[in-house]
Amino acid sequence: MPEVILPIGPQHPALKEPVNFRVIVDGETIVGLELDVSYTHRGIEKAAEQRDFIRVVPLLERVCGICSHAHAQAFCTGIEEIMQLEVPPRAQYLRTIVAELERMHSHILWLGVAAHVVGFNTLFMWTWRDRETTQDILEEMTGNRMNYGMNEVGGVRRDLSPGQIRSILSRLPKLEEQIGKYVEMVKGEETMLLRFRGIGKLSKAEALRYGTVGPTARASGVDYDVRRDDPSIAYPEVPWKVVTDTNGDVYGRTLVRIGELQESLGIIRYCLEHLPEGQIYVPAPKVAPKAEILSRYEAPRGELAHFIRTNGTDKVDRIDIRTPTLANWTSVTVSLVNQNIADIPVIVAAIDPCLSCTSRITILSERGRRRGEMSWAQLVDHGQRFYREGGRS
Amino acid sequence: MEPLLLGIYILLFPGFLFLFAYAFLLQYLDRKIAARMQQRVGPPLLQPFADFIKMLGKEVIDPAGVDRKAFDAAPVVALAAAMTAYLYIPIVGGSPFAFQGDLVLVLYLLTLPTIALFLLGWLSRNVFSSVGGVRAVTMLFIYEVPFFLALLMPALMAGSWSISEIALWQQEHGWFALLQPIGFVVGLIGLQAKLERQPFDIPEAETEIVAGPWTELTGRRLALMHLTMQVMLVAGSGLIAALFLGGPLLPWNISPAWLATIAGFLMFLGKTLVILVILASLKVATGRIRIDQLNDIGWKYLASATILQVGIVLLMDYIRVGT
Amino acid sequence: MSGVLLEMLENLCSKPFTILYPKEKVPIPKGFRGKIAIIDEKCIGCSRCAKVCPAECITMVPDETEIEVKGKKIVRKKRPVLKFFRCIRCGLCEQYCPSEAIVMRCQLSECGPDKEVVVQ
Repeated sequence: MPEVILPIGPQHPALKEPVNFRVIVDGETIVGLELDVSYTHRGIEKAAEQRDFIRVVPLLERVCGICSHAHAQAFCTGIEEIMQLEVPPRAQYLRTIVAELERMHSHILWLGVAAHVVGFNTLFMWTWRDRETTQDILEEMTGNRMNYGMNEVGGVRRDLSPGQIRSILSRLPKLEEQIGKYVEMVKGEETMLLRFRGIGKLSKAEALRYGTVGPTARASGVDYDVRRDDPSIAYPEVPWKVVTDTNGDVYGRTLVRIGELQESLGIIRYCLEHLPEGQIYVPAPKVAPKAEILSRYEAPRGELAHFIRTNGTDKVDRIDIRTPTLANWTSVTVSLVNQNIADIPVIVAAIDPCLSCTSRITILSERGRRRGEMSWAQLVDHGQRFYREGGRS
Repeated sequence: MEPLLLGIYILLFPGFLFLFAYAFLLQYLDRKIAARMQQRVGPPLLQPFADFIKMLGKEVIDPAGVDRKAFDAAPVVALAAAMTAYLYIPIVGGSPFAFQGDLVLVLYLLTLPTIALFLLGWLSRNVFSSVGGVRAVTMLFIYEVPFFLALLMPALMAGSWSISEIALWQQEHGWFALLQPIGFVVGLIGLQAKLERQPFDIPEAETEIVAGPWTELTGRRLALMHLTMQVMLVAGSGLIAALFLGGPLLPWNISPAWLATIAGFLMFLGKTLVILVILASLKVATGRIRIDQLNDIGWKYLASATILQVGIVLLMDYIRVGT
Repeated sequence: MSGVLLEMLENLCSKPFTILYPKEKVPIPKGFRGKIAIIDEKCIGCSRCAKVCPAECITMVPDETEIEVKGKKIVRKKRPVLKFFRCIRCGLCEQYCPSEAIVMRCQLSECGPDKEVVVQ
């Protein structure tokens, strides 16, 4: 068969969020790739410049659904450092518990999605059944299963009672047992091993050169974890290990994420058992002094960086969000060449893409600056013509 | 058989009406067992029937530039082939259409729906469909050889090319599932591949190529193709039950003829249900493999196991003839 | 492989995990951020909820009522009105209200074709 362009996206059953891959295939082998990630751009960075420090935290939480606490946390860490606030230890421990619970729910979700992408729907159903335990714990702690409004500049908003702590601790052993079963299944299930081993190989030099972060890089042997190398909240006081692997393929990334699941469970248990007494927040000043700060945090997908510039008012002057998925897309374009069509969803799912995080850029029309209004019918017509002509207008 | 009884046999019982009812029942059981194994609830009893009726009423969309007559005809041809193949399966005693060589005819008819699927994929003028259609035919090349060989071995041992006579032969000499276990396993795996279920649902890989050759089917075409797959499930499991598990016959004779018929029918139901449970478990327990990995596995393991089975059968035959 | 088969057989013999809504209901924990209620007798019209809302969904309308707060009678000038479709359920209004006049109840939104019923 001659070379064919296979359009994966913007709507495709393999993708949970819209992204446009135009894959150029020759038979079943991929020879080229074009990428467009601007479909969920919402203008959050601009909207954040018009809200003061109390009102901007719920906005930043909603950059992404799965890593919402990561964004709020990175922002609060940055602002607290600008304002030189000393956050009480109980608040730091509570923030760590929510952060690790978020990491657990994100990794279990990923495991289910990776199994679904190779057609193994059974593991998908079972992992999402066990994810309900983490979601129930989060709902009891914060009042919501996603977009937990736990963070504010200066501390947390809700406290944990001793009864709640006991109830959470009693549910952890069952979860640990189920995660142990999934480790066995991933290592022993033949079809998953066939589909994951040797796919999307990324050597350590390539991972460093293309700037991959998170479990994607740690699976290639890059020993870098922001929780250890640039720590914040309670991570310096809790005993935990960084999980790395040398395989570099999708199987290695699976092992790293499952290892992180087990580490997170240990961190949560330690924090619950050693929760210090005290206040849960300090009152923060209304304005922040003039400063620029780069605040980093280890989201479930990798290193999340917020660049914040304040100018002495009660709002931020500029906030720039560099998400881990944005850093990992280059590795996808590199590792997809010379693989099969059937491996596209596997490799894309292996970096755990979160398009809501990524779409911080959008490409406008390069020619002309026309302004006007379109009725709904005109907009539909414009959209259909745009796609039929295949690309930029 | 006289024409009236023949008409009732074809159209009502155990002909097409029973076929459709049993196809819906088997689909319900398949989905329910798979759901319960995944700790879900699963569909209610009339769900497959409701799906069929609903799809018949939906709008039929023709993509631009597609040959409408061929697109309409392909599902009908596939369904007709599967239904005709079903007529030769022994359900209550022998089939009234049995003749020497009907095993080969049934195997040929059961291949036609896959060719129809390839044709639909190729005609659809859609990248995903053509890739899916090519995958369907590639899979056909890989699993057909071991599948055919495994199913022809009982014919060799029983000394007859008619399915009903093979089933009858097993009544005295024992089931082929015990005499040729490797062939039984290869037959089951081949049936799973023919029905395009996990781990072999490569042409319809939802997460990779949308729906493969099924992408542009809508309305009554989709309903007929789904029904074809279900009828193939009934026909295929009936074939395996007849060739390896003794069909609708008990290992001993029962004297009143009507009692023998009822007992035979219940045996047919029971044996096909057992095969369905095995196929459903296989579907739930595995993921999908890639087409080139299937190439590896098919030619390395399936084909060599089948050659081994062929060798054993020929050896046993030689010993039997020699003594 | 055997782990998968074992779990499959176990699940075949046990109850499904699904909560059969609406016969069974989902258990809602205390502190859930559900429906929003404005308790009229406690509101003193300070507008703090409207200022702190990130989604700008609370507007203060003029409303002269006499209410009693901590034993003293004052005249309240304004009261809040919510646009429920814009609310993101963050809970900042509940946190910053000085008299606990706007609270989040532990009830889920309902289902139905009427917009007002659903988004309460």
